[in-house]
Amino acid sequence: MIPTILTSILYVFLFVTLYLQVFFIITFFEEREGLALAPKKTKLSYYPSTTIIIPCWNEEKTVGATIRSVLNLNYPKNKLNIVVVDDGSTDKTAEVAESFTKNPQITLIKKENGGKDTALNTAIATIKTELIGCLDADSFVDKDALTEIARAFNGDPLLMAATPMLIIHEPKTIIQKMQKTEYHLGAFLKRMLSSSDGLNVTPGPLSIFRKEVFEKIGLYKKAHNVEDMEFALRMQANHMRIRNIHTAHVYTSGPKTLYRLYKQRLRWTYGTMKNTIDYRFMIFKREYGVLGMITLPLSFVGVFIFLYNFGFMLFRIGHTAFDKITQISVVGPSLTLPTFDSFFFNTNVMAILWYVFLFISLAFIWHGVKLAEGRFRPSMSIVYFIVLYMLIAPLWITRTIFNLAFSQSTTWR
Amino acid sequence: MQTKIGTKKYVITFIITAIVFFGAIFTSNYFSGQRIEELKLIENKISLDILSSETQFALLKDSSCKAIDHGTAFSEELTNLSQKLEYMEETLGTKDADVISLKKYYSLLEIKDYLLVGQVNEKCGIKPITIIYFYSNQGDCNDCKKEGYVLTKLREEYPDLRIYSFDYNLDLSAVKTMKSIYQIKSSLPALVIGGEPYYGFKNVGDVENLSPQLKKLREARDKALLEQQSATTTGTQATKQ
Repeated sequence: MIPTILTSILYVFLFVTLYLQVFFIITFFEEREGLALAPKKTKLSYYPSTTIIIPCWNEEKTVGATIRSVLNLNYPKNKLNIVVVDDGSTDKTAEVAESFTKNPQITLIKKENGGKDTALNTAIATIKTELIGCLDADSFVDKDALTEIARAFNGDPLLMAATPMLIIHEPKTIIQKMQKTEYHLGAFLKRMLSSSDGLNVTPGPLSIFRKEVFEKIGLYKKAHNVEDMEFALRMQANHMRIRNIHTAHVYTSGPKTLYRLYKQRLRWTYGTMKNTIDYRFMIFKREYGVLGMITLPLSFVGVFIFLYNFGFMLFRIGHTAFDKITQISVVGPSLTLPTFDSFFFNTNVMAILWYVFLFISLAFIWHGVKLAEGRFRPSMSIVYFIVLYMLIAPLWITRTIFNLAFSQSTTWR
Repeated sequence: MQTKIGTKKYVITFIITAIVFFGAIFTSNYFSGQRIEELKLIENKISLDILSSETQFALLKDSSCKAIDHGTAFSEELTNLSQKLEYMEETLGTKDADVISLKKYYSLLEIKDYLLVGQVNEKCGIKPITIIYFYSNQGDCNDCKKEGYVLTKLREEYPDLRIYSFDYNLDLSAVKTMKSIYQIKSSLPALVIGGEPYYGFKNVGDVENLSPQLKKLREARDKALLEQQSATTTGTQATKQ
């Protein structure tokens, strides 16, 4: 009886997962003509004045490169300002930033440590330009990124915020390489969600807003340490348009180690769930588009679906491993090589659905890589992602559920 | 303003999802059906082979026993069939009607083979090396899986060994008769070696000790191994000198 109930729940979850994948496929076919792969490289008739805020807290190693990447943007210098906010760093971040202040485009604000939201708000209060952007101090912009975003603002008066395509910067460790493919997949999915108002985050590595957004809905909030998600949800709640501009590329540094990745993802997952709870009034409300119907419910339930599927997989693997160990303990290791017989190829319903999921996910990754790199290149990152992600994601997902249940908040680092 | 997605897209997505989902169920059932058919074909082939051997035996009653072709290759076919049946049992469940039907047929084939092997060996004057194994997969036999590993290992080591496994709970009169002949009790696993029933888990060494023929075979094998080793050692020493 209990196994039947557990299996039935799994089938419901598998159906929901498949539904989402099919939804993305249909959206892809609706959107494919708008998926130009490269920036247009043509000049704009109008360059909106823009300020990019770089909030920093102990970013001495990367902030210099981040500032330089903004200075190298293909954008008129008289239209682009940079405000670096040192949020009470205890390292040499302020010194590094100060070395750039001879450039009239750059302003440095020093303040006591108060969190990223306070750093951004301090800067926003001083800005008069038409567009305001935020760029994390560990991210680097492609030189055409801002032009691509400005083009989108020029072409759509109702556009209130634009997000770029995020790419992992120079992945070196296996953990970073795994994230590379994860970001490719994420980029594809975000682009699919974009046109139907399904985005729930205006990410720290370069999101650009019209100034009026802050005037109308206020400044950033702490929002469980994911202020960029809360701000996007507040915009969506106020029916402000957010679009993902996939031709605007931004490179961001992914955590190098498993522990740092765990800390980052715990903050993201916990923050996502807490903010989803805070904005639960939008869930299953048609007026909030795909965000209300798909993104928000998935943000919450997805965690449980993932964990349940993982638990089931773990049970199966554990069962097989236990049988193998029993066999070895009884008769010793088998010296004969296993022979392949198609008769034993797993074709039960669950296995077939997993083959379908894998195929669709690979197709999404394929398109994600094309969006990021112009054409598909197979790499080990894909293997790392497929093999590793399913194994390590339960670490932060389980902890998130624990934190939610016992109201334990997360920290930045 | 938010882009409102029409109900149509959600409904179309649902329909396509349902098609793929039920397509997966259909595909799975299709492959299961194919496998069942494959097993039926194997069983029919084995049945034909047994009939052929029986006929051959009847025809050659007065001739040399060696002329009757019912050797180890046939035993391998039965083993192969049993592995596939076990897989189907795991996949479709022990209560699946097709699986039960295949198991019944398989058990009958085993009994027929057991009888034929007995007759052939009697004619040739040798004692057959057979083990009859009763198991249960209804969760009431903790050691049955382990015993299965032991018997598989023995089967690999001794190609002449014929193992006949029967589901103790199978509702088949011939299997019930086998149980009554050897007076098998319900404390499983049960092995019948040399006509004697033994209960409880028996490891490879235990089974070898219980069967005089297997013991002989093991001793012969160990002796051959020793001779081979000493020949290799002598060869190596000669090369060094």
